[in-house]
Amino acid sequence: MAREIYAYKCRLCGTMHYPFRMVCKECKANDFFEFDPVPLPKSGTLLTHTTVYNLPAQYEVATLGLGVVELENGMRMLGQLNIEQPKIGMAVTGTVEVVRKETYDDFYGMVFTAA
Amino acid sequence: MSVDLEKILRPVDSPMKPYEPKYMMLASGEAVVVRQVFRDEIPDLLKHVEPLLHVERDYYDVVAARVYAELLGYYQHRFQDQYVLALQVNGELAAIVNGRQVTPKLGLSLHTLALRRGLRIGAHGFAAKMQYHIDDLGHDEVLVVAESPIGFRRWMIEYKLEKRFDVPHELGGVPSWALTRELFDRVRSKLVVGRRPVPADILEKAMEKILPPSDPPTPPADPLAATRAMYDATATALVQQRWEMEKGAQDA
Amino acid sequence: MRDVYVAGIGITTFTRLEFPLSEIAAYASMMALKDAGVTEVDQLYVANMGAARVNHQTALASAVADSLSLLPAGAAAIENGPASGAAAIKAGFQAVASGMDDVVLVTGVERMREVNNLEATDFVATLTHPLTEYIYGVTLPAHAAMFARLYMEKYGVTERHLAMVGVKNQNAALNNEWAHLQQEITIEGILDSPEAMTNNPFVAEPLRFFDACPVSDGGAALILVSKEKAQELGGPMIRISGVGQATDTHAVFEREEPTDLLAVRKAAKDAFDMAGLTPDDVDVAELHDAFTILEIAESEEVGFFPKGEGHIALEKGETALGGRIPINVGGGLKGRGHPVGATGVAQAWEIVTQLRGDGGKRQVDGAKVGFTCNFGGFGNNVVCLTFVRED
Repeated sequence: MAREIYAYKCRLCGTMHYPFRMVCKECKANDFFEFDPVPLPKSGTLLTHTTVYNLPAQYEVATLGLGVVELENGMRMLGQLNIEQPKIGMAVTGTVEVVRKETYDDFYGMVFTAA
Repeated sequence: MSVDLEKILRPVDSPMKPYEPKYMMLASGEAVVVRQVFRDEIPDLLKHVEPLLHVERDYYDVVAARVYAELLGYYQHRFQDQYVLALQVNGELAAIVNGRQVTPKLGLSLHTLALRRGLRIGAHGFAAKMQYHIDDLGHDEVLVVAESPIGFRRWMIEYKLEKRFDVPHELGGVPSWALTRELFDRVRSKLVVGRRPVPADILEKAMEKILPPSDPPTPPADPLAATRAMYDATATALVQQRWEMEKGAQDA
Repeated sequence: MRDVYVAGIGITTFTRLEFPLSEIAAYASMMALKDAGVTEVDQLYVANMGAARVNHQTALASAVADSLSLLPAGAAAIENGPASGAAAIKAGFQAVASGMDDVVLVTGVERMREVNNLEATDFVATLTHPLTEYIYGVTLPAHAAMFARLYMEKYGVTERHLAMVGVKNQNAALNNEWAHLQQEITIEGILDSPEAMTNNPFVAEPLRFFDACPVSDGGAALILVSKEKAQELGGPMIRISGVGQATDTHAVFEREEPTDLLAVRKAAKDAFDMAGLTPDDVDVAELHDAFTILEIAESEEVGFFPKGEGHIALEKGETALGGRIPINVGGGLKGRGHPVGATGVAQAWEIVTQLRGDGGKRQVDGAKVGFTCNFGGFGNNVVCLTFVRED
């Protein structure tokens, strides 16, 4: 089964949210459970990026590529990059993979490669 | 006695190519010289290592104790095939690195002791000795261990060292890591710097005399505080100890 | 609303301090209490970010109140990420301005060097969005790097500009005996020499080692009082004339214009409006240069320079001591150090020092109006303050 990262669509005004919010940032409707999950698109363009050399304690790799991607639907997300030479504006596609391990837990997130 | 015992006790050093001095510019704009120190100058180093025995932070105490023993062993002819490099800024001692040759193809890194901090001097020293092992002495591999988290981060992670856990390292028998020629070539352009020859005036200043470090590491305000902090976050034991010390002073 | 004055200031050396956290806080506080000439306070606020996580201590304010024998004063700790310090000053300001309290002690403190660098980096990274940022391994340097890359692309800021900020602030710290870094650096040494790239390696591309502030321990404290009390104490009359605070999206990528720092803009504007001042009135400023790029960006957002021209002003030396608007003359976070909870208070400490004319070698001549910007999260919680000397 392909894993997805979800955005959340307000049932009242249709505004998409990522990350999840309890209250819609547009219409401020604050009834409970007023959002429908919608999978985020997997393709987009790279908006900015970095290679991190000083990683938090849990990581055993020396460097980590990170970038912000503007997805096809205009939303943005942060993801790990598996790209040799990232360039601003390049096309990328993502898959959902393990991005962090903490003791017994795996955390899934988007990892982008060059499209 | 016809047998000269000293002849038996004294190891015979293998011929090793001397280290050709080099220099580089630090972030401060100062030049640091890396040069080999031979037996006659070891006492000049020892007097600056000794105070670090009492610096209970960043494992200066452990490293200084071992470096002291290694340098003394070298000076007294009780250590085989050791070399010592000193890093000097304006003649002042900034770092000491040493190592030894195990076999003509295998090197072993002993210690990196930085007496001036915040300018990557220790890192430059480590890179210089790795270069000496691989390029000058022709070793295929250098065994390395770290005694502090700072060292681990610098050597194991920055150089991406390979595990040689089946080989106990001479320093305390802990599992070894290894820098191979291939790994070294991979990081060479990023981590190994230095210019040769050293301009005459800079080299002369370094060779003239090993001056004392201007701002060496000093002990923490409270004895044992650094080591205990890990286990005693609330510092109750620390305060208690201080009381006892003060009480002791009054009684005496 | 009553006027609020700073009657006393105190600070510890910013470095690695091998003392218990509450002792660091108490030391800075004692200096401030002595400086103001008071022994009792109505309320104290302790700004701190990591006591629970890094130092395994909670309810820090109670510990500090007791250790300073300030009982039975009210006490509360304020955790607001790297903007804890200025948020605590704001709380103290509100307490005095409302008429509820006459004397308030505000102390910022952090002891980050108790753990190693990797753990400290992870601890600060916990302020990022847990599900959309933190899990990816984002750190504050990573955020600053991605921001810097966009800034370079859009406004023509170069590595040289960043290095110029680093050199300016780190060398300014040589004039500040309390500052963490006491090591001169040169552009040649960190950018131009053949060894520069090794001396100054990447932390997160395009940011390098000397673009980032050090990890420090330290504390700083202020005594805030009402006008009557300030006159009674008889010290220099330094008034907090403006307070502004604003928030922005938790996840940094959600911001419409990624090179904008809207919370900085709003917090600064609110502070200036409240004080009846404009950015041009400021004689000396403390900006939150946790990364060199932030000093450039903030200098634009708070209104000292038009957007995209901060680096040009830097080139002209307008932000150096003796320039049109000297920024971070005491070293800033880059040179003084950045014990996260203490920084906001330390910025105020520097400004009050300047307005009192006690700056020594780093004194800005005739400084009467000061400004601080304490930048929390990656710009998602910002507090700006203005200070005025009244003669």
